[in-house]
Amino acid sequence: MSRLKKTAWLSAAALPVLLGSLFALAAQAPHPMSFFVTSVGMGNGGNLGGLAGADAHCQQLATAAGAGNKTWHAYLSTQARPGQPAVNARDRIGQGPWYNAKGQPISDTQSELHGDTLIEAERGSNLFKQSALTEKGQVIKGAGDNPVMHDMLTGSQPDGRAYTDVADHSCNNWTSNGPGSAQLGHSDRQGGGNTSWNSAHASRGCSQQDLAATGGAGLFYCFAIN
Amino acid sequence: MAKIPLLVAGSALCVLAGSYFALAQQPPAAQHPMSFFVTSVGLGHGANLGGLAGADAHCQQLAAAAGAGNKTWHAYLSTQARPGQPAVNARDRIGQGPWYNVKGDMIAPDLAHLHGDTLELARVGNNITKLTDLTEKGEIVPGLTDGLNPHDREYAYMLQHPESNHHETLTGSMPDGRAFTDNRDHTCNNWTSEGVGNSDNLRENNGPNAQVGMSDRNGGGNGSWNSAHGTTGCSQDALARTHGIGMYYCFAIN
Repeated sequence: MSRLKKTAWLSAAALPVLLGSLFALAAQAPHPMSFFVTSVGMGNGGNLGGLAGADAHCQQLATAAGAGNKTWHAYLSTQARPGQPAVNARDRIGQGPWYNAKGQPISDTQSELHGDTLIEAERGSNLFKQSALTEKGQVIKGAGDNPVMHDMLTGSQPDGRAYTDVADHSCNNWTSNGPGSAQLGHSDRQGGGNTSWNSAHASRGCSQQDLAATGGAGLFYCFAIN
Repeated sequence: MAKIPLLVAGSALCVLAGSYFALAQQPPAAQHPMSFFVTSVGLGHGANLGGLAGADAHCQQLAAAAGAGNKTWHAYLSTQARPGQPAVNARDRIGQGPWYNVKGDMIAPDLAHLHGDTLELARVGNNITKLTDLTEKGEIVPGLTDGLNPHDREYAYMLQHPESNHHETLTGSMPDGRAFTDNRDHTCNNWTSEGVGNSDNLRENNGPNAQVGMSDRNGGGNGSWNSAHGTTGCSQDALARTHGIGMYYCFAIN
């Protein structure tokens, strides 16, 4: 109880300094973490054990970071299969607002996060290299760093929805560590010819090696839905 | 008599052709001449650039010094409407593209990709990033990760420490690359003012002000390359307060 209070006070004191570099985006009170990039992958390429396995990984990392009281979902889409409708990543992550491990805002709304209006899409959300932190508050190594780990598994189109064509964009709905491909975003919004956080390019394949080949480590985004 | 030089020339040609083909197999490097850069230095008078003409001349001068003076260069800046003076949109000043940085990396193939004119294009964004957004000399502009020092918000310090964060680029533009149409100043009086703002707080300043973009796509609430937020004024010190030194984008229009 008192320890919690103390932590809250410490965070409150640190917040203005942290926010200073982002031009004090609202908020005096600390916002608990509701967004992070997995600090580690699951080590098995694009095989995450399906959405359930990926969600469990989010939950486990969040719990280790003291945020297990929320329900965490991976930002991943799956494609339609016979008898199995598609799942859109954007429909899995609640409504926001979402904050990173330092209490900095990522986005207030679904619409801002995905750029649902032209002005929102032109500007982008507050998700960029210095804000897309792991659950431990670490910056992910991006373009220009070594090794690059900015490729985020998403399996999603830029609007956050599943692909509807027949090609594989989700490593067989996150069960393949061999053949197939996964659509990737960039946590630093750098590289791949665009600045997309969730749909920059496809992976070469689904093995851990294939993911590493284009600057990934099988990391993905986790959002708290509550 | 002329045979020997011809032979020499012939074999030189083969060698040259060989290296040409080797180059051609690699991703485009020096093949596309530079048609885009971030000014390596500002003009030194805050956001007073001497109007669009002064800003264009600075682009041309920096380009010429970098061996690219054969093109016509324009600054990516908007000006707001004034009595008897229509607004000028930055996007209408820069030709049609495609534009390449000094290393030959494509920034955007056309105006629509550069600005994200459709929802699809806007969502994925153009190719302006910290690693492509180079000065005419090929330098990376230090951004939010760099020069972590409290003094990197002071102009004097920033001048002496080129590694400190100065990722803000003057644009005076909305995200679509057009001039603002409201009554507020977004262009430091059409790039003629060094005025100080009426608050050091970005959100409270409603005086002299310039809309800026983020050359490294980091910070400012959205990472927009051309329209992230305003400034706390138009002086060098005011620009420095939010990590700018008065740099801006230059595009070749031909």
